[in-house]
Amino acid sequence: MPIDREHIRNFSIIAHIDHGKSTLADRLLQATHAVSDREAKEQLLDSMDLERERGITIKASAVTVAHTADDGQEYMLNFIDTPGHVDFNYEVSRALKACEGAILVVDASQGVEAQTVVNALLAFSQDLEIIPVLNKIDLPGARPDEIAMEVEQVLGLAAEDCIPVSAKTGAGIPELLSAICKDFPPPRESLGDQTRALIFDAIYDDYRGVVTYVRVFDGRLKVGDKIRMMGLDRTFIITDLGKYTPKQTRVKELGPGETGYFVAAIKTLGDVRVGDTVTLDSNPATDPLAGYEAPRQMVFCDFYPATSDKKGNDFEDLREAMEKLQLNDSSFTFQPVHSEALGFGFRCGFLGLLHMDIAQQRLEREHNLEIVQTAPTVSYKVLVRGKGGISEEIEVHNPADLPDMGQVLEIREPICNVEIMVPNEYIGDIMKLCLDRRAVYKSQQVVGDTRQMLTFEVPLAEIIYDFYDKLKGLTSGYGTMDYEIALYRSDELVRIDILINNEPVEALALICHKDRSVQRGRVLLQRLRKQIDRHQFEIPLQAAIGGKIIARETIKAFRKDVTAKCYGGDMTRKRKLLEKQKKGKDRMKSIGSVNIPQQAFMAVLDTGDE
Amino acid sequence: MTTPLQQLKSTSTAPIVRQLLDDPELSPVRCLYIHIPFCFHKCHYCDFYSLVDTRDRQQPFTDRLGQELAALAPLTQNQPLRTIFIGGGTPTLLQPALWTQLLRTLDDHFNLAAIHANDAEFSVECNPETASPELFDILRAGGVNRLSMGAQSFNPRHLKTLERWHDPKSVPRAVALAKTAGIERTSVDLIFAIPGQTLPEWDADLATALTLGTTHLSCYALTYEPNTAMTARLKRGDFTPTDDDLEADMYEHTVKRCADAGLDRYEVSNFAAPGHECAHNLAYWSQSSWLAAGPSASSHLLDPQGGGWRWKNQPRLDDYLHQNDNGHPRAIDLEPPDPSRLLSEQLMTAVRLREGIDLDQLLENTNEPTANAVRRVAADQLARGCLQESDSRLRPTDSGFLVADGLAREFLSVL
Repeated sequence: MPIDREHIRNFSIIAHIDHGKSTLADRLLQATHAVSDREAKEQLLDSMDLERERGITIKASAVTVAHTADDGQEYMLNFIDTPGHVDFNYEVSRALKACEGAILVVDASQGVEAQTVVNALLAFSQDLEIIPVLNKIDLPGARPDEIAMEVEQVLGLAAEDCIPVSAKTGAGIPELLSAICKDFPPPRESLGDQTRALIFDAIYDDYRGVVTYVRVFDGRLKVGDKIRMMGLDRTFIITDLGKYTPKQTRVKELGPGETGYFVAAIKTLGDVRVGDTVTLDSNPATDPLAGYEAPRQMVFCDFYPATSDKKGNDFEDLREAMEKLQLNDSSFTFQPVHSEALGFGFRCGFLGLLHMDIAQQRLEREHNLEIVQTAPTVSYKVLVRGKGGISEEIEVHNPADLPDMGQVLEIREPICNVEIMVPNEYIGDIMKLCLDRRAVYKSQQVVGDTRQMLTFEVPLAEIIYDFYDKLKGLTSGYGTMDYEIALYRSDELVRIDILINNEPVEALALICHKDRSVQRGRVLLQRLRKQIDRHQFEIPLQAAIGGKIIARETIKAFRKDVTAKCYGGDMTRKRKLLEKQKKGKDRMKSIGSVNIPQQAFMAVLDTGDE
Repeated sequence: MTTPLQQLKSTSTAPIVRQLLDDPELSPVRCLYIHIPFCFHKCHYCDFYSLVDTRDRQQPFTDRLGQELAALAPLTQNQPLRTIFIGGGTPTLLQPALWTQLLRTLDDHFNLAAIHANDAEFSVECNPETASPELFDILRAGGVNRLSMGAQSFNPRHLKTLERWHDPKSVPRAVALAKTAGIERTSVDLIFAIPGQTLPEWDADLATALTLGTTHLSCYALTYEPNTAMTARLKRGDFTPTDDDLEADMYEHTVKRCADAGLDRYEVSNFAAPGHECAHNLAYWSQSSWLAAGPSASSHLLDPQGGGWRWKNQPRLDDYLHQNDNGHPRAIDLEPPDPSRLLSEQLMTAVRLREGIDLDQLLENTNEPTANAVRRVAADQLARGCLQESDSRLRPTDSGFLVADGLAREFLSVL
């Protein structure tokens, strides 16, 4: 299918979760006869069960189809699917970088949501042509005209340009295909002979190793080429080149403007970086394509095996599972840690909260492991007094690693731009929530008659604590939010140490804002008190900053721990019972002679009512 | 009920008894327990095999018991018995004629010189409703010098909660009858922390018991034993168990109230005037040897080579009647002697006793690392104020009595 550059269209579909992105993609494939009706399988582009279950796409893939437009000309349409969630913002932006256009899907009854806005802003920033699409017009609650006005109001895209469709019935699909051919621009011309192709995704395949998705901007890629990854500075030889149509189809070469995949005996995803530029080793480009960044882990937590046998098999099982998971997902990091309280485990870094949830679920589901997860923390930039009076910046993502406050000059934390879409009646509550969570108000915009979009800057640490749950709770589920990390800013942050029976417990330490420290400390101690059994002695629970106690709770000593009867016939049973009880206690972690059940370490995670 | 598994694991103890008798080092056994399995009604919380209409079985039982007693008697080497305790069940349900037969059997096979001289203790558990001058005269003539009255409570509401159906007024009557018969020592059993019971109600029970002029009280916090009706009702949510703090208050009140009346706590749940402690129970708690006869009765026999044998007679009356190996019934839960287990048992009971334990003597034959570990636990608990040391014995303090199980767990964990 030799097609000139003028007739190639590279585009993505972007949408708020559940607004029908994947269904629309499938419908487009069907309309272009890439798949027969019989073959049509829901959400063809999503490959993992977990993604399908959660209605999100985690990994991008690209599908190429041929389409004969109304004018009789044949076009090559390259669908580049993007992960919908902001945790994968960087991956989304790389996928968009491979496109000239984006279809922005908005549910015709739900309207513009926070994620719609964030994704649209990303597309704008890449200078993409956007076609707004109002989906699900077949539903009884659809309000296409009103929602088109919202799109104009909030995103500045003309209401009249919105194409009403139903991915379910197929209504409006021909119009959309025409618009794709007519309105999306063709790829730019090749700037020279030196090949430059952008890696916008990579997946791991058990049989072929890493399959790398690329968009060729300049020059060509051919089977047998020795290629160089410019960022990682590594070379490989292309053994296989192809496209998904959506069946896997081999091609001899990929020219300017085309997208496809290559296989090059790459063993792990760690050897490929999304956003990197591929060039030819024989005639390398001088400069890579702009915009490459290494994946940045923003949320950290520890994973420990929930069970532990003496030989450490559970830890080894977890290690093996983590290594396998990393083959599929190079954007999370892990390193072994040892906690006095929880034993051996791993400190893991994630792009965001959803990414963390997905990793944990995949470990439990695909590897049949039970995991204890500690409270997530964000990555702080800490300015400390260095040698010779020169200050240096270190990264801290474990409260226990924070140096002595005397050494700390400044703690900077990640701040997010947060878009919140909320029905008018909840605005007061949301304002209060945001101010409680150290948010800085930026702007407010009317969305239709019933909703407003609020923009705040909110510290990521507050978002991962309980912001989203609270937002959903306060708005009866109607509020939506999305965020992207915008900057680091210093604030009066402190480390709270938790002392049980006067001994600090590292695994329970946390970093939080000074003004919220007393409240946070108190809540945590109250939760701990419920988790720890009464002992023979009174147990003080304390929260402290530096040496100063800011909150205190007490677990009263139990007063009576004695069986009433112990006669001749009771001796054996009684002895065995006492031994069994003792063993039960031994399984708990003991700190300062206090037996602490594992659940207590999760108490910091609990975001229930305070 | 005996499960098939228990049947399978049952064993004859005749060879063990023979082996002990052949050992020239064997010390004479000086204590005897007899279990009478008959009851008024089939109690929901009791796992013994018992029948309401037992008249036709009482005779064969008494005969069979006589054979077992005869088989056990050589272990006393004809030394005078120091204690006999006849419990149940409801021993006083046994017909007077059979009591006469049983007491004669005892006289025939055992040396009761000390008992008849009132220098040794012979206790019988008594349901107050069964008290009669005739029965008590027979008991006294047979050497019985101590009665333990199962009162449990004097409050009809709480008796009902416990599924006890006797008239509370029968208790003072029974105590008076005992005195008249010349049985000088009586003890009263009470239960506290009954669901719904208040501290003043418990105080009233205690006051009533103390006015009876008995020299011994056993006060048990209600225990929810597995597989009993009480526990099932608790799990069903029929009632709320007594709050931990209230139970502790009731217990501390008991200790004080008894002390004021001259009854000192000598074990967690037992209070006595000086010299009126139950010698038989003290024998249990000091891990002495005792013989045990009757279905479900548990024996403990110290082995001259160290450690002690423990076993429990088959609990089913039918099995007891029909299994007979030279007088011995089959036994279950047999535990051969194990000095380390004996050490555990000694420490476990010592922390419940006023007389405590002489640690140096106890650890005389224990290896150094274990002895040191035990001493470390003792030192910890001394420092914590749960144990105290006097006359070279370690004893629980007031607060130690309250957490005796915790103390026992600490000791067991190093053994």
